[in-house]
Amino acid sequence: MAEILHVGIDLGTSRSAISASNGERFVVESFVGWPADMVAKKVLKRSVLIGHDAVSNRTMLDLHRPLERGLLKEGSEKDVEAVRELLKHLLGLVGVSANGKVDAENVRAVVGVPAAALRTNKQYLRNAMKGIVDSLLIVSEPFAVAYGLDALLHTMIIDIGAGTTDFCVMKGRYPTEEDQRTLTVAGDSIDAQLLKLIEERYPQANVTIFMVREWKEKTSFVGAAPEKIVVTAPVKGVPTDLDITNEMKAACETLVGPVVETMLDLLAKVEPEFQERVRNNVILSGGGGLIRGLPEALEDALKTVGGGKVKYMEDPVFVGSDGGLALALDAPDGDWEKLS
Amino acid sequence: MERVKRRLLKQAVADNIDTIRGLPPRNVRPAHRFVQLWLRRSPLLLMFLTLAGSTYLASDPTPARDTIAPAKIVLTRAPRSSVSLASIDSTPIDSAAFPLSVRRVVIDAGHGGNDPGATSIQHVTEKEVTLDVALRLKTLLVKHGFEVVVTRADDRPIALRDRARLANESDGDIFVSIHVNSIEKHISSHGIETYYLGATSDPSLTKLAADENRMSGYSVADLHKLVERMYADARRDESHRLAASIQQELYGNLRASDRGLENWGVKRAPFIVLVATEMPAILTEIGCMSNDAEAEMLHRAEYRQHVADALFQGIRAYASAADAPQKKGS
Repeated sequence: MAEILHVGIDLGTSRSAISASNGERFVVESFVGWPADMVAKKVLKRSVLIGHDAVSNRTMLDLHRPLERGLLKEGSEKDVEAVRELLKHLLGLVGVSANGKVDAENVRAVVGVPAAALRTNKQYLRNAMKGIVDSLLIVSEPFAVAYGLDALLHTMIIDIGAGTTDFCVMKGRYPTEEDQRTLTVAGDSIDAQLLKLIEERYPQANVTIFMVREWKEKTSFVGAAPEKIVVTAPVKGVPTDLDITNEMKAACETLVGPVVETMLDLLAKVEPEFQERVRNNVILSGGGGLIRGLPEALEDALKTVGGGKVKYMEDPVFVGSDGGLALALDAPDGDWEKLS
Repeated sequence: MERVKRRLLKQAVADNIDTIRGLPPRNVRPAHRFVQLWLRRSPLLLMFLTLAGSTYLASDPTPARDTIAPAKIVLTRAPRSSVSLASIDSTPIDSAAFPLSVRRVVIDAGHGGNDPGATSIQHVTEKEVTLDVALRLKTLLVKHGFEVVVTRADDRPIALRDRARLANESDGDIFVSIHVNSIEKHISSHGIETYYLGATSDPSLTKLAADENRMSGYSVADLHKLVERMYADARRDESHRLAASIQQELYGNLRASDRGLENWGVKRAPFIVLVATEMPAILTEIGCMSNDAEAEMLHRAEYRQHVADALFQGIRAYASAADAPQKKGS
């Protein structure tokens, strides 16, 4: 009797992570690329590239980000295929493959997906993931995060990802429609804004969205500038230092308004006697939580309704997949049989 | 906490099992119960239902409590009554509710299969962009009550004459062909242009038409005959209006997100798909692959959605204008 492997997978718009019961943990960028033509195939010597590998070879690839904007696009075969490749890749990393240590038949997987994706195309997602693992439980990402943190009562999770910002108030029940919100103001929209602002200020500079994304991941902030942000980009082919402090601030701050508004709106919907507890239990996760000054900005906004605390996850990368793993381990055998 | 965890886990599993069984999401189902409750209590609503669904009520005078079928009937009827069900917006819009003279739109995604069309240096191909925009446009049109026929829904080669034949056979009211430009002299600039059928004296347009007409299966003589026959056609005026409407919306809407975008206007050219189709037909070049910045934009799903939105606005503007004089006449 082969041993059963439990895994938790966080299928994100920008990064995807896996945590397995054998102790392995991996994270990859949610990019899947196929060589664009025969030449590319020959050069790359692979039929599909995943993650960083795909991004760095993007010029030769037909590049897909399957959950862009938090949704799996229906009718797009390539995106479905990309989700499958991404799942297979993640499982392969922890030793699940046709000839690997673990057979796919003995895998029980909990997959966390953006809340918006789960809401709109649950059935479609399930079909897309069919056949890759034997037993599959799909949950919304904020729920997996909350479960992993034991933050299931009177907490608000704000998960700022690439494609979407997901809000979820945990009231001790499986989150329903009214407990959740999704904004498309998130990492990608900041990138687009930042690119636009930089292009406006330095029309001669040659800047791509990928460069902008890298800069943002290193230096994002809101409020007072922690330091001067200077980056290097080619201007008419010559590498030149550009000061983008103001642009970075302006782009990142596009997030603050909508997030504050949604946060306060959701708070107002919590039963009055629990509002204070929720206010003091706001948890920021996802890459967007790394924006410097953001927890403070949200706490400032909470002051208008009586004050509160915003916590940021120390380990935002695996918090979702670890939560998924916890779910996988906690689910009784009988339930897993029903989910295969 | 353990108890809460167990309960939540159970609910998550139940939710997934529902999905496996193909049941509607739970957040919709309480609404059913709510409506049923109302039905049992409100004689007014029962009266409405007697009018609207007398056959159903006659066979089963008391609304069943446990079967799913009656609930479905309630759901489709309810929005017409005064019960507030604003949260359920999944009821499809009935196209018959809009007496459009433009009801069926044929969308033609340019190129496909072994014919990639223009290719940018980032390896974005025209066939992918056109297909993606076409499918996005289709979704928008269907959502707003139009019927949509697409000449291709996946990556496959389709001869130009087959595209036109398909459009004619499907009785489309208008034909919209989506293409992406790639013009060597436009490396630094980029723009949008929309074509309808007509003769052209511009040699660069003849070349463009020749490029797009390749693999058409028509001989030059055929083409001349067809063009001559069509020039006098009254549908040219309609095609012109459609082209103008689409061009205006495309440029107007995309200018904001695509800096430096130029308006190259509405032009006439003898593209095969425009010649051989029997309905108002246009061919729009939604961008310019030869311009790097533009190719990068077209690579982004968000921008392609903008393009589809703009195309939809153009079609809708044309459709509502086409509808207006007809109403006066009848």
